[in-house]
Amino acid sequence: MRTDEELMLLFREGSREAFEELFSRHHRAVVRFAWRMTGDPSSADEAAQEIFLRIARAAPTYHPTAKFTTWMYTVARRTTLNYLRDTKEDGEKVPILSAGETEDGVYPVQLPGPDDRNPEQVVWAAQLTERFRTALGELPEGHRAAFVLNRGDGLSYEEVAQVLGVTVQAVKTRIFRAREMLLSRLSNDLSA
Amino acid sequence: MGCRDIRESISACVDGEASPGEAAAVREHLASCERCRVLERQMRAVGAGVREVRGSVPDRFREVVFARLESEGALPKRKKVVPTAWRWVAVPLAAAGLGLFLLTSREGIREPVPSGPATAWVGTSPPRALSPQGNGSALSTEDREMLAMLDLLEDPEAFDANDDEEGMELLAPGDSAEPPNPPRRGRSGV
Repeated sequence: MRTDEELMLLFREGSREAFEELFSRHHRAVVRFAWRMTGDPSSADEAAQEIFLRIARAAPTYHPTAKFTTWMYTVARRTTLNYLRDTKEDGEKVPILSAGETEDGVYPVQLPGPDDRNPEQVVWAAQLTERFRTALGELPEGHRAAFVLNRGDGLSYEEVAQVLGVTVQAVKTRIFRAREMLLSRLSNDLSA
Repeated sequence: MGCRDIRESISACVDGEASPGEAAAVREHLASCERCRVLERQMRAVGAGVREVRGSVPDRFREVVFARLESEGALPKRKKVVPTAWRWVAVPLAAAGLGLFLLTSREGIREPVPSGPATAWVGTSPPRALSPQGNGSALSTEDREMLAMLDLLEDPEAFDANDDEEGMELLAPGDSAEPPNPPRRGRSGV
């Protein structure tokens, strides 16, 4: 099986099939990333379309100096950032709360005790997920991107640093700050 | 190390990104600090939460993206090819036609090879020398058909060119034979 980097080079040389294979491999991850960064389905759809357009446009200048996915997420992050900025400039508020959502009806979720199962295996109720998505959307973009890329897409601190163009230490700090802010906003839900 | 100073290291430990020394310091601290043990569990839970925000691929996402790419010429054209099956059918059919001609044609069996200088054939294959353009008046209808078939066999590209309009478009997995919807434009217009 060809690597992503090989496929991108083939696409640069004019292979449509290479791009179709890249699309098949990565479109779900791109849509997920756009969804986590923009916070609503229609924005995620438009941003994800734009990400693939930019990837295709940038093909002539692509050089495999880094992993394709690192490059792809760099394009994805810049595209969603521009998208969010454009949305704000247009006077539209970046969606944070979904339609009909209220502050009422929150059911705190008890985390397991120290001797119980791994906290990462906690089943997230739909309502908690929605509140989490809202809290995620309220983070500063740079913190949100670092946290989403690491925890959501599985990039290492080093890879996140490359995508964001910052140091590894900066990534470490951003992710820690993101966690603090999320815990502060979800303190009622994540009582221990 | 105090609780405030070690929180960032706890976060890095949760992500598996702490250095060995940092991880040892965290383990030592957590062993004696119930409050930070709770914090560590909450940090893990928050990390798991981001994976619950998944969304889903919109309907016709692929079609819309590829339509937009094609509309701005950012995607190479699909290759049109003649179905392989037709190539395999064409050769035996032409050979059968030629054999039928040789069996049934009176001229092909009875008439002698046109007389003339032997050197007239040198460097030129008989079918080419007998091209309809060069000596059309001396050829029967069957001759012309045979020559057309031979030309076709000698020049597969001519065959491809003739059949190109009927060539099938290769579809990638997941492609639809239906034309895609009109492209959607992003709000940013970038």
